[in-house]
Amino acid sequence: MALIKDQQLSLEHAATPELRFADWLSDGSNNADAVLANGDDDLPSLFTNASKLSMIALEFDTFADGRGFSMARMLRRAGFQGEIRAVGDVAMDRIDFMQRVGFNAFELRDDQDVTQVLSKFGEVTVHFQPSADGNGPAYMA
Amino acid sequence: MYAYNQYDQALVDQRVDQYRDQTRRYLAGEIPEDEFRILRLMNGLYIQRLAPMLRVAIPYGLMKSEQLRTMAEISRVYDKGYGHFTTRQNMQFNWPTLESVPDILADLAKVQMHAIQTSGACIRNTTTDPFAGVSADEIEDTRPWCELIRQWSSLHPEFAYLPRKFKIAVSGSASDRAASQVHDVGLHLYRNDAGEVGFEVLVGGGLGRTPVIGKTVKKFLEPQELLSYLEAVLRVYNLNGRRDNKYKARIKILVNALGVDTFGEMVEAEWEQLKGGELRLPWSEIDRVKGFFTGPDYLAVEHAQNDLADAFAQHPQFATWYRQNTRDHKQDGYRIVVVALKNQLQAPGDVSHQQMDGMAALADEFSFGELRSTHDQNLVLADVAQRDLLALWSKLQDIDLARANVGTLTDMINCPGLDFCSLANAETLVLSRQINETFDDMDYQYDIGDIQLKISGCINACGHHHVGHIGVLGVEKGGKQVYQFTLGGSANEDASLGKTLGRSIEQDQVVVVIGQILDVYVELRQTDETFLQLVRRVGFAPFKERVYGTHQRSAA
Ligand code: SF4
Repeated sequence: MALIKDQQLSLEHAATPELRFADWLSDGSNNADAVLANGDDDLPSLFTNASKLSMIALEFDTFADGRGFSMARMLRRAGFQGEIRAVGDVAMDRIDFMQRVGFNAFELRDDQDVTQVLSKFGEVTVHFQPSADGNGPAYMA
Repeated sequence: MYAYNQYDQALVDQRVDQYRDQTRRYLAGEIPEDEFRILRLMNGLYIQRLAPMLRVAIPYGLMKSEQLRTMAEISRVYDKGYGHFTTRQNMQFNWPTLESVPDILADLAKVQMHAIQTSGACIRNTTTDPFAGVSADEIEDTRPWCELIRQWSSLHPEFAYLPRKFKIAVSGSASDRAASQVHDVGLHLYRNDAGEVGFEVLVGGGLGRTPVIGKTVKKFLEPQELLSYLEAVLRVYNLNGRRDNKYKARIKILVNALGVDTFGEMVEAEWEQLKGGELRLPWSEIDRVKGFFTGPDYLAVEHAQNDLADAFAQHPQFATWYRQNTRDHKQDGYRIVVVALKNQLQAPGDVSHQQMDGMAALADEFSFGELRSTHDQNLVLADVAQRDLLALWSKLQDIDLARANVGTLTDMINCPGLDFCSLANAETLVLSRQINETFDDMDYQYDIGDIQLKISGCINACGHHHVGHIGVLGVEKGGKQVYQFTLGGSANEDASLGKTLGRSIEQDQVVVVIGQILDVYVELRQTDETFLQLVRRVGFAPFKERVYGTHQRSAA
């Protein structure tokens, strides 16, 4: 399994956490700083606790579940500067959108061609809305 | 109208390349079927019963003549020589091949068009009043706001995988010609007591198997915060809308489950974080976009107008067409012309390539090169000088588009039904043919007056039957196609949902029942009372009695 981080193939990186955010939260003594979360989690507490974490892996159970897009966006808005890793159904055709909303790491399936996936960043360069990547809408340029 | 700048053009060009690559990889077996399904839907490509269907976006229904000509050409080259205008102001081609779609998109991009987000679980084309900017009763032109929404929603990275599709409609006058109360979000531009123009925001309207009239979630929204507020609505929906059942995934279900007040509070809480931020529209940007919609160079009234009395006397049919198919214009000496795509031979909303070319030429000659498509599947030439009306009318006859039936029984909305749609339970096009054959006496139609007949081939309600004055819904019972009638619906400012009249009707009885319903109207109406007013006044009893009377008596 390959990981793309900050638009490059990452050779050394932390493993995807198995600890779920809900378990991390209920176990007050837990000092792990990486969790796995998805749209079923208690989002307000994820956002308020994010500063205690260094990595949040957001799961995409299915291709159609778009909640992770809003979660990443809101985590960045809450000031989270750690790694937001997309895991699960991370197809190359949405990696550009994922990066725009705040993901900076992507766990690929073994059958995914890393070079081809990397070529999908910036496939559409024009943006009409502000997003977590700091690029404002084109008309404000 | 709006003209692309280098950013808009780059976006559609790059999107064509992106989709071409996706199609190539799909055909090479590199993208799984499920994944490609979502990708092609985001680009307006359905797989229907007989062939793929490509839906092309016509942002808020506005077209230049060269765009319509391009669509005519596309229909000749890649399709069977015709297209179909939908109730959401878009164009559908029913017969392209999957392989040819990237080329079609490239042709469209050359005239500033695309198919981005015309289907799929994302923000769809924003629709509006086809008389925007020209109607006499307008409060403010909706088109600049639609354009701002178009830009913001185009390839929005956060909202491409919503629980379900999301449709926005904008209305800017007292008469609602955009069906804004049956959209996921309806926006009403109006002037408040302090004299400021802003938006009333409705949320959670829609048809389908759970028809709902939208509810007000914000009474007055400052226009500069339009996009920040919409973003807050979409974010709350994206995170909270149901994803376990596609029939319960629209925002209306969420709003109904939470109650509009709770939903509104969630939106306000999110909006607190957004308003005044990057999404706040500067007036400079609003004014820049408004600058595209300043209106054409109208002739002075003494040049635009002439006395039509002689023409009316010589051509009584022209007089009828004028009365039935033209509307008041805010500019003296001009008329709005509605061109009905409802003749006897074609399915409602269908246009041949000759008609598309013909309409493009007429737009160039008589209406500053622009056209509009309407919610009720007609076309509009919005700026015709009165002195040109006779010439326009006679040229419309050459392309079979001069039928003077706007607003009448045969100006019906009709989804494609079983002839094309893979979800259909019943045929619908056969009904429009039968209706045209049975009620071909135009004087009868004029006597019946304003009436909206809407027909859907299944509960998905693309034909908006719930909001028809008379609605017809195709259902399947024991392997037979039968039809349920509803009465009393409206999609206008007095929006209401029709109620079911009684048990379903067999296909060959549909026109009989429509005739019976209209007979009741003719017998009971008071002076100047429309069909809808009568239904609201007298209720269902006389209609039930006429349609089911004998059976009900024998059952009792
Ligand atoms: S109402 Fe049903 S049959 Fe008609 S177009 Fe929609 S899905 Fe198809």
